[in-house]
Amino acid sequence: MAQRDVKNRIASVKNIQKITRAMEMVAAARLRRAETRIAALRPYAGAIRRMTRQAAEAAGDVPALPILADREQEERVALLLVTADRGLAGAFNSQIIRAGIRAGDDHVAGGREVVYYATGRRGLSSLTFRNRAPEQAFTGFTERPSYANAREISHALTAAYVDGKVDRVEILYNGYISPMSQEVRRETLLPLQKATILDAHEDDAHAAGESNAHALVDYEPEPEEILERLVPDYVEISIFRALLESTASELGARMTAMRSASDNAGEIIDDLTLEMNRARQAEITQEIMEVVAGAEALG
Amino acid sequence: MARTTFKVEVLTPEGEVFNDEVEMIATKTVEGSIGILAKHQPLLAMLDPAELRLYRSESEIVTLAQGEGYLQVAEDGGVLILVEEAHEPAQLDTADLSEKLRAAEEAYARADAHSEEQRLAARDKRRWEAFQRIASGS
Repeated sequence: MAQRDVKNRIASVKNIQKITRAMEMVAAARLRRAETRIAALRPYAGAIRRMTRQAAEAAGDVPALPILADREQEERVALLLVTADRGLAGAFNSQIIRAGIRAGDDHVAGGREVVYYATGRRGLSSLTFRNRAPEQAFTGFTERPSYANAREISHALTAAYVDGKVDRVEILYNGYISPMSQEVRRETLLPLQKATILDAHEDDAHAAGESNAHALVDYEPEPEEILERLVPDYVEISIFRALLESTASELGARMTAMRSASDNAGEIIDDLTLEMNRARQAEITQEIMEVVAGAEALG
Repeated sequence: MARTTFKVEVLTPEGEVFNDEVEMIATKTVEGSIGILAKHQPLLAMLDPAELRLYRSESEIVTLAQGEGYLQVAEDGGVLILVEEAHEPAQLDTADLSEKLRAAEEAYARADAHSEEQRLAARDKRRWEAFQRIASGS
């Protein structure tokens, strides 16, 4: 390759490296915010748990709500795949799609029908492409999900469950461990297990407010009625937590992907620089040989 | 004369929105309007979407549009308010609210009678209606 061509290639790789570096830094900044939001949910989730236990104690037990009831026969299963609106984040989206389709195929092999739900444009397009068009897709918020998004998803899934359209609801999302590592998690959202509500949880330590364990408490309305709304809140909170963790995972994955892209660009630049220097040296050698040959001809 | 104050914390899933001493709280539970002063009896109440007023003093009032939630008065008189969402009235977008209200009304009309889907759509409808009232200042 001529010296000029190599020079042009170096310039274009340097441009790419600038973009990937910028994307890496943007993802890193957003990731810090996403981590803050995961932490901000804890006091709320902990306080909801504590209130639920208080109301359950006052009511004697958790009432038999439809979302707590196991179905004897599971004929239809809903799978919610939590993906991102954007790509460029390594295996982030594809590993959810792959795990979701595998889980779906397992259900089908077990004689159950599968209904897909998706968040994120990537999930919607991949599922549609693979002839598994989702029943409903929720898009446009995956970089910054709000609680209202989680509520909308939760309402759609809870209605499907309670109205008997599906007999089980599972969620697949990228759980956030650290900026460098995410893991695919598969959890059952519905039926909700009573143990999930009443057992100790790490959020309890973060709970806001104080306990009312021994005071005479007024309830408005009756504790049973309060529980009818408190218990379904768990589904919303679980979905919200999954959305937040997925966002942090997406940003972590993008940060890592962009860092290795930048590193790769750096290696290519080094190789090309070496090649350019060789080409330049070859040209110089050629010129010297021509000069020497010319001088000899004259002498 | 200034009234006795007590601690109030307002929490949403997206973080804390208020944490201060107030003289009085005015809001709405599913059973009706409620006002809370210092040394209120321990209480656990379920809140409906409505205007939440936090009186730092007679003249300094913090107003928020609250979504559905819960209010707890602890033994020590401190109040914890958990709401799905809380917005400053000025931040409410009336065009966006009308759009959401329309969507909820459509979902309500589309759903089967007495289904969970219809019940949830009715809840959405009530929330957006309440927010609209707050946004229009009535």
